[in-house]
Amino acid sequence: MKSLSNALLWLCLLLVGASACAQSAIPKPTTTAGITEVVDFDETTWAQLLKSGPRPAAYLFTTSYCSTCPDAFATLNAAVTQKHQAIQLVAVMMDVTGKQALRHALHFQGLTQMFAFDGFEPAIRHSVDPAWPNITPYIVLIDQKGTVQRFIGPPTPKALRAWLG
Amino acid sequence: MVGMDAKQQLYTVQSADLASWSAPHILDSAGDPISADGENRPKLAFGPSGQVIISYTRPLEKPYTGWIRMLRSSDGGATFSPPFTVHKDTQEITHRFESIAFDASGALHTVWIDKRDMLAIGKSYVGAAIYQNVSLDGGLTFGPDSKVADHSCECCRIALAQGPDGKLRGLWRHVFGASTRDHAFANLSDAAPNGFKRATFDEWQIQACPHQGPGLALAGTSPHAGYHAVWFGIRKEKGVDVAAVRYARLAEDGQPVASTVRVLPDPQAEHADVVAIGDKVAIVWRSFQGHETSLKAWLSRDGGKTFEQRLLATAPSNNDHPRLIASDSRMVVVWRTEEKAEIHEITF
Repeated sequence: MKSLSNALLWLCLLLVGASACAQSAIPKPTTTAGITEVVDFDETTWAQLLKSGPRPAAYLFTTSYCSTCPDAFATLNAAVTQKHQAIQLVAVMMDVTGKQALRHALHFQGLTQMFAFDGFEPAIRHSVDPAWPNITPYIVLIDQKGTVQRFIGPPTPKALRAWLG
Repeated sequence: MVGMDAKQQLYTVQSADLASWSAPHILDSAGDPISADGENRPKLAFGPSGQVIISYTRPLEKPYTGWIRMLRSSDGGATFSPPFTVHKDTQEITHRFESIAFDASGALHTVWIDKRDMLAIGKSYVGAAIYQNVSLDGGLTFGPDSKVADHSCECCRIALAQGPDGKLRGLWRHVFGASTRDHAFANLSDAAPNGFKRATFDEWQIQACPHQGPGLALAGTSPHAGYHAVWFGIRKEKGVDVAAVRYARLAEDGQPVASTVRVLPDPQAEHADVVAIGDKVAIVWRSFQGHETSLKAWLSRDGGKTFEQRLLATAPSNNDHPRLIASDSRMVVVWRTEEKAEIHEITF
């Protein structure tokens, strides 16, 4: 309900920002996925990855509360496992960093690297794709030649075949 | 106003004039971590006998799980009870994205997203479920957890509004069939579960989390006027997927009035909210254009027939989702930026 008390006015809002959640040092516990660190992902990171990142690679952008994301990652991992290739499967956490982010590595079997947004989430999202509404999983597949495919939700089998060649 | 400070402490501040605010009153949340991510946040509700209710989701150790916690004040917010868990079910599963509101009779409704049915049935269960419980004594005691609907989407806020009869209506993102993520509308006083109506027909088929729940407001004072609704979705238009926040009037039973559906005039619009007083309707949203975020409004003086766009504010850095609040005659939007919590009065 939206109402005001005449005598005493209170308002309700969320008071949180990425800076409030940031941690000064990233702990390095070992997860079952073998991931021990989380790498910062800021507004410049995506351009660098497109230019000189590993190929082929898959990037799954996710949040700590995206419960449909592990299934989408499993689809990627299954495709890679079938091909018997060493391919980078990367998760990018958009809302938590450090230890909180690492907890989610457990959900991503086959994960080879984890990033976490470091900055204002819409700005970083815009640097990845200005047309990307705030939906996860958002998945980018980059093949050996650098061809980029983007998806909201799991990629199609046809797209996975095109990615892996 | 309730929120969390830089130390992740729950606090309240008060104002009688929207200009000067009290010093923060830090609340004892008994060490609970408090979910403030996506569309989840601490919330306030005011009872008819001076009760002040604060709710939040306490995330548990296992990802995607949580309990709905509540603090209660019976002295207008001077003091609060220790936090307590609202629902009877205490499994380590999803009980998250709660919304709270009093209906006109003074009953406190807590409505949340719940995964107990998925746990019982297994992965074949689509999505989550909407559950609620009701307190008839302003948050002292609570009735049983009762199911509102099976197969909700998993991580979007739930919109609540009083109907013309004073009873609460809920609007939430729902999974129709295997993967169509549109919206459902229900009278929360209906005893039987799954008595909802489909409120949007974007036909967006996706196995993903949109992270944007709807907004809902009663339209006018006529018992048959229906509701104003805003929501985000992707709809195929002329063969092209169009992602947008849309507005529509809903009939009194929640079904959309097709001729009223329209796209907000901003392709970057996100996390929209709506409120109405009589024929005055305000829709607000935030919009990021690559270098700054704008707080925008779409205002109608004729019950949603026509709208005028207005820029309310901009922010160069971190900011939150805007929220609308209405009193008998005033509307304000609250927008947290990195510097402060901005209050913008809506004038027509």
